[in-house]
Amino acid sequence: MELTGLFFYLVSLLILGGIYALLCLALNIQWGMGGLFNAGIAGFYGVGAYSSAILTTAASSRHLGGYGLPVPLGLVGAAILAGLAGWAVAKICVRLKSDYLAMASIGIAEILRLVIVNEDWLTNGSLGVSRIPRPLGDLATGRMSDVVFLGFVWLVVLLVFVASSRLYDSPWGRSLRAIRDNETSAAAAGKNIEKFRIQTFVIGCAVMGIAGGLSAHYFRFLSPTATDPLLVTFLVWVMLMAGGSGNNKGAILGALAIWTLWSVTEIFTNRLPPEWATRSSFIRMLLVGLLLQVVLQRFRAGLIPEKSPPVRFKEEGPEPDR
Amino acid sequence: MRKLTTFVAAAALLGAGSAAFADDTKIGVLMDITGPIANFIPPLQNAANLAVKQVNDQGGLLGGTAVAVYGDTTGTAQGAVDAAQKLVNIENVPIVMGSLMSGTTIAAAEAAIIPAGVAQISPTATSPAMTDLQDDGLVFRIVPSDNYQGEILAKMVLADGLDKVALTYVNNDYGVGIGQTFQAAYEAAGGTITASNKHEEKKDSYRSELASLAKGEPQALVVIAYAGDSGGKIVRQAIEGGLFTKFVGTDGLRDELLIENVGADALKTSFFSSPTSPAENPAQKTLHDAFNAEYGEGADKAFVDQTYDATFLALLAIEKAGSTDRAAMAQALRDVAMAPGEKVGPGEWAKAVALLKEGKDIDYDGASGNAEFDANGDVGGYIGKFVVDGDGYKQVEIVE
Repeated sequence: MELTGLFFYLVSLLILGGIYALLCLALNIQWGMGGLFNAGIAGFYGVGAYSSAILTTAASSRHLGGYGLPVPLGLVGAAILAGLAGWAVAKICVRLKSDYLAMASIGIAEILRLVIVNEDWLTNGSLGVSRIPRPLGDLATGRMSDVVFLGFVWLVVLLVFVASSRLYDSPWGRSLRAIRDNETSAAAAGKNIEKFRIQTFVIGCAVMGIAGGLSAHYFRFLSPTATDPLLVTFLVWVMLMAGGSGNNKGAILGALAIWTLWSVTEIFTNRLPPEWATRSSFIRMLLVGLLLQVVLQRFRAGLIPEKSPPVRFKEEGPEPDR
Repeated sequence: MRKLTTFVAAAALLGAGSAAFADDTKIGVLMDITGPIANFIPPLQNAANLAVKQVNDQGGLLGGTAVAVYGDTTGTAQGAVDAAQKLVNIENVPIVMGSLMSGTTIAAAEAAIIPAGVAQISPTATSPAMTDLQDDGLVFRIVPSDNYQGEILAKMVLADGLDKVALTYVNNDYGVGIGQTFQAAYEAAGGTITASNKHEEKKDSYRSELASLAKGEPQALVVIAYAGDSGGKIVRQAIEGGLFTKFVGTDGLRDELLIENVGADALKTSFFSSPTSPAENPAQKTLHDAFNAEYGEGADKAFVDQTYDATFLALLAIEKAGSTDRAAMAQALRDVAMAPGEKVGPGEWAKAVALLKEGKDIDYDGASGNAEFDANGDVGGYIGKFVVDGDGYKQVEIVE
């Protein structure tokens, strides 16, 4: 192990960690704030990934494309298309109670994945989209381009974090949490529950789309293997639960902690004696599962639990009526 | 405090693991160990381990011990990139063998392995996209591209006097890769595809697909699918419905199971293409004997030959380069794999090292083929034409 190697490994860990942080922030908007159980993250992630890939690659006879747009525009496209997909889904399903919404969204994610695998003209099916550019690609080559990309990813994470925190504190966020905690009383207070839920769902899906787009640019190659529900949907749920549902900082911390755990365990299992070599990958999965159990048992509310912002009253205003 | 102790202990274990074997030379082995193709993997791990074991039994690598460090892609792009980053950055390997699925291989290459300047050799990634990777000559594979088999198949079908066929292929990277190349090559060479259809696996009935494929009087049905799944059912249902009597298949369909299911009589005019070795290949027998002696069984499992060859070639490349210098690996790999040079086969590590010490050029010819790379790091290979002969298949022709 040498230091430069360790440095570039950390860079790669933080890039994927950043992408997962985005997914967690998105899920936190939907579940942590809005109480919407979206189990179809992989679907919206896939829509975003393919949108950005198709918008930014050069012309190819194998899939739709040839737009060659700059990467930031591709990501905007990813957000819009994933948001639109989210809107269509929300229009139909958002009135469902949380567990039914979970079932419906798993189904929808699977539909989106099958569309990606089957519509060759659009996505080149199982053969995938190659030569996807990186943002600021000519700034650096080789491994250094990862460092540039790291900055880009975390800039996006920062923007989404700031926006999401503002949303949380805003009247909009307060109404949302009121709906989450007690739907009937929120409705009695005159809140349009369906409208709020659709908005939440769409915003979350758009951010998932951006995360998908960023992964496509990171991998430089996109095939249906990137939209596996285990590594996209379920791992993100674990991250948010571990980090602290309802807390944006917790979402980011959970993503980084669980992704590091996921990744670093392999370094340890590779140090097992050779006769275990063929089993080490399965031992690793077991280890990850066990560690997650511990985390979920010990930190029931997550590493950083939700803390509602204090209710602030204007000092010069009249004394509130209690 | 306890946490700190645990952390220190873990760090010590990690440090000890890497420091204790100073003479070790690592090679990276990237495989889709968990995930969708997990059941293919155990014999392939054995194949890679066998290559490493033979090297260590016959004098070792660079005077020390060769160690295979595994990375598990989990069958996903995220996992592949993560595992590959660990191999090239933490384990510091000079060359990576793997991965198996095209999707994970290309994602790992693009995001981790090529940027680090490490050479990579895949035993089984058949996607045509591998050919035109911008890889600085670092990425190799020892299995022909799907494009290759598709093109050869088109020639073979035309040479058989068939100029109007219907085509159906399974909707995965295998079927789509060969099917689309076949269609393009066949039509470019003057053949007519009367109907073409992409089907899903694991259905019970393909009769409606077959009904539309049979329109337009095709002379035969080209089926690119697996005998154990859709391919076998399609052939049987086509015969039952009297829709087709002649079939053309690929290696996925060329399976004894097909003969069991439909009978040899029904297949007597049909033929099959499959990657093959030049006539009799003694290297394959050598490997299979060694493999079964070590592990009892499993030498005939899919991709064992390719995985062994890729691992052995990666080890030879390190020995040839004389160090773990990453920049030297791609050229060293070409040197040991390609003619001219003294022939070396599976298991002949001591002979190879002796030849290299004398400064002679070597040329590894493996169980899966002779590994002659073209400019893109692809191999051609031999495609055989097979017909049914009793309960098995007989090779009647080799096309190169």
